[in-house]
Amino acid sequence: MELADRAVGFILSSISVTIFTYYTFWVIILPFVDKDHFVHNYFLPQEYAILLPVYAGVTLICFLSVFIGYVMLKSKKKKA
Amino acid sequence: MKHIAKIMAFLMAVTAVWISLLQTKMIPQSHTWLLPLYFIVSLGCYGLLMVGVGLMQFPTCPQEAVLLQQDVIEAKQFLKHNGVDVGTD
Repeated sequence: MELADRAVGFILSSISVTIFTYYTFWVIILPFVDKDHFVHNYFLPQEYAILLPVYAGVTLICFLSVFIGYVMLKSKKKKA
Repeated sequence: MKHIAKIMAFLMAVTAVWISLLQTKMIPQSHTWLLPLYFIVSLGCYGLLMVGVGLMQFPTCPQEAVLLQQDVIEAKQFLKHNGVDVGTD
């Protein structure tokens, strides 16, 4: 039980650290690097640095509204 | 009510700093435009990190769990003795 909790917590923190370093590199460090440096092959084009978080945010908001609407509908049906 | 005022004041201060950064051009303009998005993403990352760290450090108190199970068994016996239906076992 405890080990499963620790494993999930470790996975979550490692994912968050990975995303943070990758995004920092992408947005802040990469524009200062020359165009033909090899490290540019590891990162998607810069437009995606804006598109991906916006897309993820919109998906999250959509999912939240769908969930809230579903719960509200279910509670109204139960009362009637 | 005061908490909202504090949050709005903080947001106004951050917006003012961002606009002043845009005007004085200390940082290249392309960077300044991406700064708010970067801070939102890093805030989300920070939240996730705190959740992960909290999960890893959560104490489970095994001795208290054993004592609690004993209390439950005692209570069930007492209630069954007094005629209350304690459900399926």
